[in-house]
Amino acid sequence: MIAEVSTIVARGMGVRRTGRWLLRPAAFGIAGGVTGLAGPPGVGKTTLLATFATLRRPQAGALEVLGFDAGKSSELRAIRSRIGYLPAGLDWAGQLCIQDFVAYAAFYKGVPKAAVHSIIQRLDLADTAAIELSRLPADVRLRAGLAATCVHDPELVLLDEPLAGLDEAAVLELIPVLRTLAPTVLVTAPQIGDLTDWCDRVLTLSRGRLTDLATRPFWNPERDSDGMFAATRSMAGV
Amino acid sequence: MLAVPALACLGIAAAWRGLIPGVASWESSVAAIAASVRLVGPVAATLACWAALRAHRLDYLRTLSARSPVTGPLLDLLLLCGVALLAYVIVALVIIGDTLLQPAAPGFHPLGLPAGAAALAACVVTGYVAGRLAPRPLTAAVVAAMTTSWSVLRPAGSSWLSLLPPAAYGPIGLNGGLRPGLAADQLVWALALGTAIVAGYMWRLSRHRMLLVPLALGLALTTVATVRLHGYGGSAVTATPPTAPVCRTWPLTVCVHPALAPGLPSLEAVATPLATRLTGTPGGFRTLRQLPGAGPAHIKAGVAWVHLTDLGPGYERRVAHELVAGLHTAPCDSAYAALVDAWLLGEPAGGPADPVVQRRFAGWTDQRRRTWLRTHYPTYRACALSPADFPRGT
Repeated sequence: MIAEVSTIVARGMGVRRTGRWLLRPAAFGIAGGVTGLAGPPGVGKTTLLATFATLRRPQAGALEVLGFDAGKSSELRAIRSRIGYLPAGLDWAGQLCIQDFVAYAAFYKGVPKAAVHSIIQRLDLADTAAIELSRLPADVRLRAGLAATCVHDPELVLLDEPLAGLDEAAVLELIPVLRTLAPTVLVTAPQIGDLTDWCDRVLTLSRGRLTDLATRPFWNPERDSDGMFAATRSMAGV
Repeated sequence: MLAVPALACLGIAAAWRGLIPGVASWESSVAAIAASVRLVGPVAATLACWAALRAHRLDYLRTLSARSPVTGPLLDLLLLCGVALLAYVIVALVIIGDTLLQPAAPGFHPLGLPAGAAALAACVVTGYVAGRLAPRPLTAAVVAAMTTSWSVLRPAGSSWLSLLPPAAYGPIGLNGGLRPGLAADQLVWALALGTAIVAGYMWRLSRHRMLLVPLALGLALTTVATVRLHGYGGSAVTATPPTAPVCRTWPLTVCVHPALAPGLPSLEAVATPLATRLTGTPGGFRTLRQLPGAGPAHIKAGVAWVHLTDLGPGYERRVAHELVAGLHTAPCDSAYAALVDAWLLGEPAGGPADPVVQRRFAGWTDQRRRTWLRTHYPTYRACALSPADFPRGT
């Protein structure tokens, strides 16, 4: 279904890699709020996310992001200046400290230095800003990645398995942060249960098809006081 | 932080090997600095490739950017070229400083230094773009292998390919110099190739049609410069007009190239005893001069002509040995002639000579030996001495 004000609009869009359809041509839209994309490893979540981020071109159909046509070179920069993308794994930036890493991102986003300080404060990284990423725990590294991704206040944030490798306490602490990163957040995870409790909408990718699960009510930490994974366990039948 | 001193040390070591030992020559210094790029270039290219591989991991930040996609690579190239060129400048300052401290032979090709710098920058650009186009660890190894091969497999004088930057010049003697126009052609070649590579890569990133202009221009100029370099036929060095020698006039007159002037006292010291012992013989001389080119060392009309190309360790002994060897009409391996040669050179007698003759000759006074040589010079010169030529007696 394509809503009138969908952030991402795909019209007959198909994505292939090594001769295999990761997403068969389909029409769909992703509206505001938090959308989760679940699927087993290797099914194509990362490739699909990279396509939404305009890092890859779809092999079929058309893609609109934030109202701009991703197929037009003239509109790519407009899209890219308005989105944030965090790929899986942050070890590759290990030699940088948080301050430098976020400043590097800020330079390429064309935002002033004040934005660097602002996002570092917002994500509670002020105390660790001078420490190299490789020496920090996984949840702090994720916050640093989110800071670099969102230093320019994007309208759309794409996160590739951000919660992988984190313990429950860290996940509980970070989910409210993820939800407020941008007006539209698209996040991937290998398991449906990792997303259903806090995403407004969950899609699954399997065998080249995108399926929209029944959406759950907006995740409310005060209402769902029995723990975030209670609903997950009920869905999984545990 | 470590790259600049590491590259500079490599460059200084490479350039030092290309200098004429003990002699300051601008031609040789400039050529040595430019030729040091043959060693530094492959290292700089590999470092640039490795830097590109590391930067590749943060490409998603550069790609999803409000800035032009060429901004990141251009900044990288600016930094990498700056590091390499800073090291090159250090090499140049060290070599030039060493040349300035001594009386230097004239001749200075100002374009030789920027030609070497452009060649180094082209190596950096090549390595970086290779790392960006093929961001795999193996790429750095391939870049190292190919750039090293490009340097090693083109020895000086082998073909016109050796003149392509980074060029191999071979030894430049005091009476030789780089061919006019060679440095300019090499500068154009390196700049044009580097420009073409950068413009081509930037076009690939941004698809800006205006970048096709510098790309086409770079390729065209590279082609023109290649054709011009091909016309040199592989020879980088040409003879220069003779330079007026400097002389020391007492007790002998010794004249050498101005750059070899520091060697005059030593030459005088080693030539004077030799000249004294040859006095009164057809091999006697009062003047020692440096041969301007090739040709055997010889003594004619009281002037001894020798080869002297550098002031490396033992240069004065080499000159003396060359002179004495030139006294014979042909290469001589006679033990009796060797006995006389050793006396002329002031060296201890040795070899398989007749011990009786050896003792007899050693027992003569210097004056007796000189008198004897005047009498037996033609036989000595013809390498036909025998025991009968060394009579017993006072």
